[in-house]
Amino acid sequence: MNDEPPALPPRNSFEYVRMDEPPTTWSVISALLKQPGKVVCELLEGRAATVLGALSLVAVVALGLYGLVVGSLEGGAQYGIAPAKIVGGSAVAALICLPSLFVFLCLNGADVRLRDVVSLLMASICLTAVLLVSLAPIAWIFSQSTDSVAFMACLHIVLWLVALGFGLRLLSKSAIIAWSGASSRLGVWACIYVLVCLQMMTAMRPIVGASPTLLPTEKQFFLAHWMHILGGSLEPGRD
Amino acid sequence: MFNAPARFRRLLGGNASAQRTWLEERSWRWAGVCVLVIVIGGGLYGATLGLWRDGWQAVFTAIKFPLLVFLTCGGNAALNGCLGQLLGSGMGFRQTTLAILMSFSVTAMVLAAIAPIMLFLLWNTPSLAAGNGIGGHNVTLLAHVGVIAFAGIIGVRRLFRLVVVTSGSAAVARRVLFGWLAGALLLGTQLAWVLRPFIGSPGLAVEFFRPDPLHGNFFQAVWRAIHHLL
Repeated sequence: MNDEPPALPPRNSFEYVRMDEPPTTWSVISALLKQPGKVVCELLEGRAATVLGALSLVAVVALGLYGLVVGSLEGGAQYGIAPAKIVGGSAVAALICLPSLFVFLCLNGADVRLRDVVSLLMASICLTAVLLVSLAPIAWIFSQSTDSVAFMACLHIVLWLVALGFGLRLLSKSAIIAWSGASSRLGVWACIYVLVCLQMMTAMRPIVGASPTLLPTEKQFFLAHWMHILGGSLEPGRD
Repeated sequence: MFNAPARFRRLLGGNASAQRTWLEERSWRWAGVCVLVIVIGGGLYGATLGLWRDGWQAVFTAIKFPLLVFLTCGGNAALNGCLGQLLGSGMGFRQTTLAILMSFSVTAMVLAAIAPIMLFLLWNTPSLAAGNGIGGHNVTLLAHVGVIAFAGIIGVRRLFRLVVVTSGSAAVARRVLFGWLAGALLLGTQLAWVLRPFIGSPGLAVEFFRPDPLHGNFFQAVWRAIHHLL
């Protein structure tokens, strides 16, 4: 008996077409993972307000959930402070980098509208946030097993960079689809964005550990801060 | 007609095309059978893992070994689903979880098949009572690490073939598998740390969990070991 299934159709996960059904929160997230081209098409030429609303909602909820996991190392007030800092810090970092993203795209001769750039940046942030939530169980089990702030900070940075890599990849692909060739300067912008986010984390410290003050009393660049953190021991405090 | 033994023969044989059709089924019966195989196969092998130390340790490890598999699989289900879809595996959340369960069930079957050999090894290993506890512990540890790695590689190879079929590309399958394995390694090693002991150190008591299971982590232990060596 021949039980060979039929051959698979050619796969193109970035097909730039409208979504088949009216967008809902779940269908937008599902499409963002499976066929991001559909989400980009809706954002640029379709039901942009609905899709943007869904992306924003999911991004806030997902970043908040990951913030809870970050706060679980210290517990107590950090359960509220960490999510607020992560959601707020991400929003401010995006706002700071939005003008440069717009200008870098324009420098390539792309006919961009600010609204479209906002939409694509939000899609990228949302994808990063969804991936962070999927990585949250790993972060949680480690945060319950250690009281080393340095170790957990390093782990969160690594997980964030993995998730961010996928988010920036989406942004780059979207730019290629929407404004052909516009992604060539996005590598530079991506470096700037990563640096801004790292400095934002430093400016909002402590996010992982606890502190007597809500925000730092002393200004510091993130490199100096990280040298200070890593200069301490990775050993847990109660070993 | 649902024929579990025939399916497992195909699963072990690496018939990826047939496995792809199983992923499309809406029934959870096949997933249930895979879970059962992991419980039985992993439990049997787990018992041989703990038996060198004590009979109770064998019982504890027989429970904890499948538990480790399910916790790793469940904890990474969302991550694996997301990565699979993002990287173009052609599978959704449900199919990804089922594919990984099938891979673990292959590993569990291989481990169960090797369990009698490990019992033979155990019979020839210096016992704790013979006064060479450290030697016996080291032999047991090294042998089991080797066998588990071997069974794991077989399970991953079966999974790779399946992802090649669902994605239509070996390059995509490699990327997907790399992502899944990295996640499993990260979560699995820490869960194994939390669920310790599996073999049972000669100098420590036989127990289900250590008194402070959530204290410390695997990577810090490795870091400390390297630090001490240097």
